[in-house]
Amino acid sequence: MGRLNSALASALLIAAMCVSSIARADEKPPVAGGDPVNGKRIFVVYGCYACHGTTGAGGGIAGPKIAPGPLPLEATRAKLRSSAGRMPAYSAALLKDSEIADIVAYLQGIPSGKATKEIPLLNR
Amino acid sequence: MARSSKPMRARRSALNRRGFLKAATLAGTGAIVPVVARADAPAAAPAQERHVVELASRETEQGVPPLSGPPQSNCGSDFMVDVMRSLGIEQVAAIPGNTFKGLHESIINYGMTTPPALNLITCMHEEISVAIAHGYAKIEGKPMACMMHSTVGLQHGSMALYNAWADRVPVFAIVGAQLDADKRRSMVDWMHSVFDGPALVRDFIKWDDSPVSLTQFAESATRAYKFSMTPPYGPIVLAVDQELQEGGMEGGVSPAIPKMPKTSVARGDEGAVNETARLLVGAQSPLIVADRAARTAAGLALLVELAEALQAPVVDVYGRMNFPWRHPLNQTRRQRALTSEADVILGLELTDFWGLTSAGLAKGAKRISISSGDLYMKSNYQDFERFTPVDIAIAADAEATLPSLIDAVRRLTTPRRRAAFASRGAQLAMDHEASLTQSRAAAAVGWDDQPITTARLCAELYEQIRNEDWALCNGTVFQNFWPQQLWTATHHYQYMGDSGAYGLGYLPGASVGAAIAHQKHGRLPVAIGGDGDLMFCPGALWTAAHHNIPLLYVVHNNRAYHQEIMFVQMMANQRQRGIDRAQIGNTLTNPSIDFAKLAASLGVYSEGPIADPKDLGPALQRAVAVVKRGAPALVDVVSQGR
Repeated sequence: MGRLNSALASALLIAAMCVSSIARADEKPPVAGGDPVNGKRIFVVYGCYACHGTTGAGGGIAGPKIAPGPLPLEATRAKLRSSAGRMPAYSAALLKDSEIADIVAYLQGIPSGKATKEIPLLNR
Repeated sequence: MARSSKPMRARRSALNRRGFLKAATLAGTGAIVPVVARADAPAAAPAQERHVVELASRETEQGVPPLSGPPQSNCGSDFMVDVMRSLGIEQVAAIPGNTFKGLHESIINYGMTTPPALNLITCMHEEISVAIAHGYAKIEGKPMACMMHSTVGLQHGSMALYNAWADRVPVFAIVGAQLDADKRRSMVDWMHSVFDGPALVRDFIKWDDSPVSLTQFAESATRAYKFSMTPPYGPIVLAVDQELQEGGMEGGVSPAIPKMPKTSVARGDEGAVNETARLLVGAQSPLIVADRAARTAAGLALLVELAEALQAPVVDVYGRMNFPWRHPLNQTRRQRALTSEADVILGLELTDFWGLTSAGLAKGAKRISISSGDLYMKSNYQDFERFTPVDIAIAADAEATLPSLIDAVRRLTTPRRRAAFASRGAQLAMDHEASLTQSRAAAAVGWDDQPITTARLCAELYEQIRNEDWALCNGTVFQNFWPQQLWTATHHYQYMGDSGAYGLGYLPGASVGAAIAHQKHGRLPVAIGGDGDLMFCPGALWTAAHHNIPLLYVVHNNRAYHQEIMFVQMMANQRQRGIDRAQIGNTLTNPSIDFAKLAASLGVYSEGPIADPKDLGPALQRAVAVVKRGAPALVDVVSQGR
């Protein structure tokens, strides 16, 4: 799991693209049990963003919204370990419990965005 | 015959200049012959003619035989132009190829200069030529012709023909042929010759022919047009021999052009339609699902009529603009729940009925299909989807069947049922509003994110076009159907579905083709397309610039083939190898493609890359202004995956 290569470098570039919005998450206090900074790194490097968006906003049929307001840690772990649909399943050998905790910490730290009523374009 | 008389008369007046040119060519072996311009010729004509003579002379010096042929007024390809005009064809898209050089020359020097004028659209790839014809037909409601070189040209265009086939769209494709081996002048001619060219695509076109006489060409073209325009619509291919194009008409007389018959579209059997109406009227939870149901604007109006007569929910699969996006009975966002609760499901030109209902049906639920797909299908390519054991399969065109179905529904609706329908309709209207509220709330999530969310992209775009007569030229699955969720569309031309076969490279050409059809109506065509898709056929942008075709092309630039990342992740996980390499082969970075520069190099106004959502609205506003002035524009938006 720890292999770093050109794909990782590529993913880190994408991570750099996401920096302004994700940075907001870093301003939140870390969630107990998980490292949100590492969670953000995993979220991008492992490609979670491809279907769920860089801040978990979701990608339609490719992947549901998972943040803000993610599932609790246990529910997230259960989903990741036993997914049977489009979502790939991740064994403990592929994704450690600690890494899942980090991802959840990152997702929990993503703040709620603007409310619909605050966005004129969505109130036409 | 009457239809051919006018073009033939027009031809006689236009051929003198060409007759002169031919004489000059024959006389000038190696010499540049002075050209005398006709008094009524365009000012640029002398220079153009001189160029043609020079070219012919160089070929002669290189050992190529001088051009020879029948007197210009008798050439077969002029007659072919007349046949195309008689069918109502107005546009021809092509990249040149020497196996149709006779027809090419006839189009530019005869078809384009005499009424009713044909227009030749210069393309950069046969896949673009076919895709342009594909998009055009979905808006114009009739075929555009496209020409392809023998062998390699058709091979390039084959993918786009498959898209048109799967999307049930008429395309009138002509492919050159050189059947007489004695006439092949080089090894390349042999490479580009094939005995049965259309065999390559016969599995996914509706019909083809290789006429050996002009009389047969006229009949085959008319037959082909009729087949392509009889539901289910589909592409056709005519392989046209070079000798037939470049030779003359027998006795100098134009063969007859057959009269195009008025075709009657297959309507549903009366008994089956009445039974369908009985089931729908009696249902507690009916559901109408439309895919490519509305072939025309009338189809959309009829579907509204049926839904309102029943106060039944409509789920739109978005194969076409079937139903107004903000109609209270539009319940597309509730597809899963409605499908599982329905006691009667009516599928209208529904390609994948199995997929719709595979998650489960209510006990005893009835499924009814009205589809022209049952009238004509082939076996090799599996675009017919999984077999679904429906209760009633009406093999007929849905749009043509709707009037009798609506009549039957009204006839069978009692006052008591009407009251029940009204109650159902009121609930559905509330559900529609609730769905809209949910969509808006979902669109707000990540509103200020970078990369820009597809919801923000679509909302910003709509803000710039909502007061215009806009038309969206792309399928929206990769934008999460945000336009359908957030925009208001009521007209049939405002949406035209997706590629059909999900073959990449469709949208650049198809959106240009649609924009050509929109142009005469003064509409504002917009397309949102992926970066990967655009890189298949970026030359379509040049065609838009070259022909001054107004089109706003917004690049949903997620810098990857995002759909595929997930699949590779899945494989890697199953094999316990880890997913940190899943992006190899899927991401389009290092370097990131600069689509604004690409578009600019092709003569298209461009903006981008737009990475900050705050910059998006102003960039789109500037681009829309360019399009409203009659030119294409592109905005490159660095976006989320979906």
